[in-house]
Amino acid sequence: MELFSLALFFISLFGLITSKNMVKTVIFLMFMQTSVIMFWLKMGIESTAAPAPPIISDPNMLKDIADIADPLPQALTLTAIIIGFSVTAIIVIMLNHLFRQYGTTEWQEIEEMENKKSC
Amino acid sequence: MTWGVLVLWIISALVIVPERRTYRLIIYFCIFSLITSAAYFLLGSPDVAMAEAAIGVFSTIFFIIYAEKYYGLRENIERDRVRKRFSAKGLIKPFMALLLCAGAFALAVNFIPQAGMDDYLKREYLTRFMTDVGGENAVTAIYLGYRVYDTLFEALILVIAVVAVTHLSYFEQNQASGTSPNEMTTSKIAVLSVRIISPILLAFGVYLILNGHITAGGGFQGGLVLAAFFICRYMVYRIDDIPIGSVIRMEEYFYIGITVITIIVVFLGVAAYVPAALVLFYQNAYLISMNILIGLKVAGGFFALFYRFVSVERR
Repeated sequence: MELFSLALFFISLFGLITSKNMVKTVIFLMFMQTSVIMFWLKMGIESTAAPAPPIISDPNMLKDIADIADPLPQALTLTAIIIGFSVTAIIVIMLNHLFRQYGTTEWQEIEEMENKKSC
Repeated sequence: MTWGVLVLWIISALVIVPERRTYRLIIYFCIFSLITSAAYFLLGSPDVAMAEAAIGVFSTIFFIIYAEKYYGLRENIERDRVRKRFSAKGLIKPFMALLLCAGAFALAVNFIPQAGMDDYLKREYLTRFMTDVGGENAVTAIYLGYRVYDTLFEALILVIAVVAVTHLSYFEQNQASGTSPNEMTTSKIAVLSVRIISPILLAFGVYLILNGHITAGGGFQGGLVLAAFFICRYMVYRIDDIPIGSVIRMEEYFYIGITVITIIVVFLGVAAYVPAALVLFYQNAYLISMNILIGLKVAGGFFALFYRFVSVERR
């Protein structure tokens, strides 16, 4: 089942290479992060059936530890999600500035404008 | 069921690849975020699912504010409508990229770790967290106990992001004046639904924060819901003069509070001197106070971000 997250990772790599719009680039960056998070969460699961969340209200639950999801990747990815969001907020605000200055967010058009300026 | 959701997940990502229109990109992104959240929940991690859902909504709002500006210009509508003519030469680059990605994917498949992983850390954490840190939620116990450094620096990065966005965002006057920041105040349906929903949001946010150590939830998720509550109020009651500087100042004070509590409780190791009868109370007090501080900090930070985007960046 880790195949899915790997597939998403390479789909977003393809998108990053081919996308001409900056919004698309930002979205694919977020997708890449999501795929890595999904991969980690997947690694923490041993059984193929739906695992129980790591909330232990009764010590008897610890008898069969394979049915409980691993809490460590979850705690780490919670951190990663918030950091990813902070980065995205800054990226979007820079995108806004870029749009205000050039009137477009296509990679190639901005490059052409810059080339015209330097000529 | 998990398989079905994961297949949908991949499809929703594939739909975005050929899309050119900005609004559709953003809507597809929102759908992808929703499916991701469901998948996380099915993988036994409700904490991450809640955070992902809230974060997806917030990012979508930011993107939509950008898209609104983008479509405000008439030439952009026409540019989106024009379809590039098909040419074989234009296909070379995507084809090469596809080849590269497919090759890398085929290579990477071989490195997927097979079953029989070492579960030493998982066993240790799950069996010991109740005596070491307290509470019933192992995830909260890890990010407030064993790995509190992560939480500290993550909270610091959120503070830095809020400050950076506030300073980077463009404005001529100090507050949004002249143009109305929102059109929702005129819609009776919006006003009524916000009136019904916002008390529920407030109660839910407080519940998530106070019960973060025994059920799914915690400071971040509760803080996000609280921020949503404030945003609802802002949207309906048309408040233009929020002292956003003091919101950010408050967030910084909460961050200092988090650091001080962490230093006293975790780094100085006060737990060793607490009498045995009070250990449970002490642990719960630590977890709840940390969750409250983190929740208020996150709520303040996200509200500041939202306000900056909606009232300043939208013009």
